[in-house]
Amino acid sequence: MRKGKRANSALKRLMMTLLFLSLAVSTLAGCGGTARNPEAGGKLRITATTGMIADAVSEVGGEFVEVTGLMGPGIDPHLYKASQGDVRKLDDADVIFYNGLHLEGKMGEIFEQMEKSKPVVAVASYLKEEQLITDPSAAGGATHDPHIWFDVKLWMSAVEVIRDTLAEKDPAHADQYQANAEAYLKKMEELDAYAKEQIAAIPANSRILVTAHDAFGYFGRAYGIEVKGLQGINTMSEYGSKDVSELRDFLVENGIKAVFVESSVSTKSIESVIEGARELGHEVKIGGQLFSDAMGDAGTEEGTYLGMVRHNVDTIVKSLK
Amino acid sequence: MSDFWILLTGSLVAACCGIVGVFLVLRKMAMIGDAISHSVMPGIVIAFLISGSRDSMLMMFAALVFGLITVLLIGLFQRSGIQSDASIGVVFTALFAIGVILVSLFARQVHLDQDAILYGEIAFVHWNLWEIGGMSLGPKAVWLLGVTLLVISLIIGLFYKQFKICSFDPALAAAIGIPVAFFHYLLMGLVSMATVSSFESVGAILVVGMLIVPASTAYLLTEKLGTMIALSIAAGIVSTFIGYSASIWLDASIAGCIVCAAGLLFLAAFLFSPTQGLVVRKLRMRSLAVSETR
Repeated sequence: MRKGKRANSALKRLMMTLLFLSLAVSTLAGCGGTARNPEAGGKLRITATTGMIADAVSEVGGEFVEVTGLMGPGIDPHLYKASQGDVRKLDDADVIFYNGLHLEGKMGEIFEQMEKSKPVVAVASYLKEEQLITDPSAAGGATHDPHIWFDVKLWMSAVEVIRDTLAEKDPAHADQYQANAEAYLKKMEELDAYAKEQIAAIPANSRILVTAHDAFGYFGRAYGIEVKGLQGINTMSEYGSKDVSELRDFLVENGIKAVFVESSVSTKSIESVIEGARELGHEVKIGGQLFSDAMGDAGTEEGTYLGMVRHNVDTIVKSLK
Repeated sequence: MSDFWILLTGSLVAACCGIVGVFLVLRKMAMIGDAISHSVMPGIVIAFLISGSRDSMLMMFAALVFGLITVLLIGLFQRSGIQSDASIGVVFTALFAIGVILVSLFARQVHLDQDAILYGEIAFVHWNLWEIGGMSLGPKAVWLLGVTLLVISLIIGLFYKQFKICSFDPALAAAIGIPVAFFHYLLMGLVSMATVSSFESVGAILVVGMLIVPASTAYLLTEKLGTMIALSIAAGIVSTFIGYSASIWLDASIAGCIVCAAGLLFLAAFLFSPTQGLVVRKLRMRSLAVSETR
């Protein structure tokens, strides 16, 4: 019995020594790892959370910035998981841009913490209270719809925030940033006018946009189209059988021809609604895929913010007209 | 510095979970961590509805309360004769379902779930600093887990003999006058504390993995409780280091890689354990057969 005990504690001591050794070794290795901090050829290194922000930064920053986005094509920001490389991208960045309004979930808290050590900017934080859509049904605390990029006018103020931040951090190139932003803002102005004109061409009584989750509130408000989502703003919230049957009845009553699926949300939920409507003798088709929380693949037309909005507008108009 | 803090946090989680995990595996209650990860949901929703804020400390307190309710209910059902796994399953599904109903009734338009509100991410621990009067004292997670580890080691250390007898022979424990129920609930309280504070720091998958896998690995390697605890902690910490290196190499989720590494260590122990390993048993069988034919 005693012998066993002694052997036991000897083993414990051995384990502890091993542990501390391995901790010490890896600490040293770790510090060596972070010491390298390559200068990106004098370029400002920017990390952005969503593709929409990364796109705007590279439009404004042009050749003077190096932009990395965390959330790639097709990734739902509500469900985003960070990889080890993402930690590096955030560590190495000179400036970080994120959306804010809880789009990034708990990561938002982290960004607020990081603000103390480096410039971290929430592009939505400069919008005024009355510009945001507040959900009246939410109990406790004001919660805003974070999908601001679908109102091109609102997103233009995000671009202005990016422009001003870049100019402040890199005054040497402020003029170029100003010029780039001006050109980009002009294109956005045109896009805004295009969207207004196209949506207005849909007959008023079929101007209803039905999607899988409530991402298009700002779009609806800006361009005059009623918006209905099966899920709430958050793609994680469960939709109930009441939601499905309510939406089904809504489709039948209003004679809606088409509903839309989203690139970053599963199509299953919306299919069950279509199936339900069919049983009631109302044929609804899937009008096409809209880009909601993430853009299309890089290199394609939909891989840019302008292309994505244009694609959404065209898809909606084509199916509802 | 990020590597250092991530590794330290991972190691602290491994230590906290490794210690209580051993007792859970011995009592066939390993899935209790997973149960708590779901059953804290109503707590979070209720705290949000009352306060309207997503303040971390408040959420953690609410989660801790529901963690305790979970382990108390599970203990209650168990002690009245329902199988361990069944009572765990009944309690956590019911509580989680209450949380889902509450969200769909009152908070449909709010981003409200454990992932968004309670669960941390080990990748970000080194940015979430604790500051007093403008002075940075290091990551919050390290403090939180450090205190948790201290409390766990203190209580387990003080009542080591009682916990040991209760785990292996509850009838004997009762016969020599140890309050078995009290120590059961004390242990469950520690489990709840370890899991909730780890959830807040590093997220669910890592905690559930660290509670079960290193302890099971240790279970294959020894029959002594003290050694098993030491091996369980060691397996957890080694997995943290291997997993973190792998996540750098693969550019993948850190928590995912760490749990995978723990799984690989378990597999190694399962195959090559000197007493219970598959390979060793096969060899022993063959040598037995050979000696019989001679």
